[in-house]
Amino acid sequence: MDFLVSSFVAALQLIGSLSPDVRDAVRTSLSVSAGASVFAALFGIPLGLLVGLSEFPMKRLVVTVLNTLMGLPTVVVGLVVYGFLSRQGPLGVLGLLFTPTAIVIGGTLLAAPIVANYSLASVRGADPRIVPTALTLGAGRLRTVGALIGEIRFGILAAVIAGFGRVVSEVGVAMMLGGNIRGYTRTMTTAIALETSKGEFAFGMALGIVLMMVALLVNLFLSLLQRK
Amino acid sequence: MKILYRLNSIRKCYGSNVALDIEELTIGEGRLYTLTGANGAGKSTLLSVLAFLAPPTSGEIFYDGKRVDWDPGSIVEYRRKVTLLHQSPYLFSGSVHDNVVFGLKVRGIQGKEQRRIVDRALDGVGLQGFRDRKARELSGGEVQRVAMARALALEPEVLLLDEPLANIDRETTGLLETVIASLPARGTTIVLITHDPEQTDRLNGESILLEGGKVVIPHPPVRR
Repeated sequence: MDFLVSSFVAALQLIGSLSPDVRDAVRTSLSVSAGASVFAALFGIPLGLLVGLSEFPMKRLVVTVLNTLMGLPTVVVGLVVYGFLSRQGPLGVLGLLFTPTAIVIGGTLLAAPIVANYSLASVRGADPRIVPTALTLGAGRLRTVGALIGEIRFGILAAVIAGFGRVVSEVGVAMMLGGNIRGYTRTMTTAIALETSKGEFAFGMALGIVLMMVALLVNLFLSLLQRK
Repeated sequence: MKILYRLNSIRKCYGSNVALDIEELTIGEGRLYTLTGANGAGKSTLLSVLAFLAPPTSGEIFYDGKRVDWDPGSIVEYRRKVTLLHQSPYLFSGSVHDNVVFGLKVRGIQGKEQRRIVDRALDGVGLQGFRDRKARELSGGEVQRVAMARALALEPEVLLLDEPLANIDRETTGLLETVIASLPARGTTIVLITHDPEQTDRLNGESILLEGGKVVIPHPPVRR
């Protein structure tokens, strides 16, 4: 018990002293997660809306595939993207492996199905009167979709935040594609894994606390928006 | 009487269920029709077709002499001539003003002209001072009046009303009936679903009776 308490105190001291290692890992985590969330939103929201609003053959299959992709093991995504970005891979010439960009690419693949599924769920749960109301007021297709997005905006926002949560908390993609390079691609999660295995439990705990605080702040932000 | 709608051999099916089966129906410009019939008679389906929201499974509709081809590009123009008001209308989140301007923005009406139209529409339904109220905080009767103002602001050629006066208090009903009854004189065609025979009398309209998706002929005497 003393070990846990003393580690916790040390972790708070590390956070309070703004240790450069903690700061770098937090910065890298937040920036790659934000980048991946933006790209996941760009792909996932239109995909979710398209599937939700249109009828087409094999729609059920598409929904099932999207659901399955939500549970993609992070190491599998890491492995596939590694194959593309490694020197022998088709995109190897870009030299992206072990860069933050590689983590963003992997994170996007992880988050996009989540954003798409949550957006789809928001469309399905939307009031069925929204679309006919917009249409009967003379809105064209784009404006009608705009009105629908406006009405389900919190669901869409929750979708993006869920995608962010997935990326910020994963280890596999960041480890395999980022390489855990100190001050460059080391994220909070890869730092926790590494430092804990080295016996630096307090450091790992400090990052764990920051990670939890980030999750808490993001959810508080969402909850504040919903109250408005 | 100028014929606004002409429906020829219209059928609307949902799977094997025939919701609407109208051999012929004409609707004149600037007239008020009440649409009556039992539940499931096809009244709401007919209004959806007249509002150009749901294409018929088969048959032809002529609007103002032109055959409606249901092309996604051109159907928007037809929809902008007609507004459908539901029994339980949906108000977008935001203010009363946001709701009333929605259709005006779609039509590119902005600035002073927009403000003048919004004020006049809200005045028309007795909602002066409601402009900045949140739509989600309104009572049922107020929601219905905002939805009516939102429709009136567009000055549609046709106003389709799906039991707009059900579930609202007598005072609001009286107010909205007065507004509705005044519209044909301005050239607006009204088709209103009602289950209240007295309402048909009060509105002094022509009656269309639907039974099992078919227009029952002869319908009750024309009053206008």
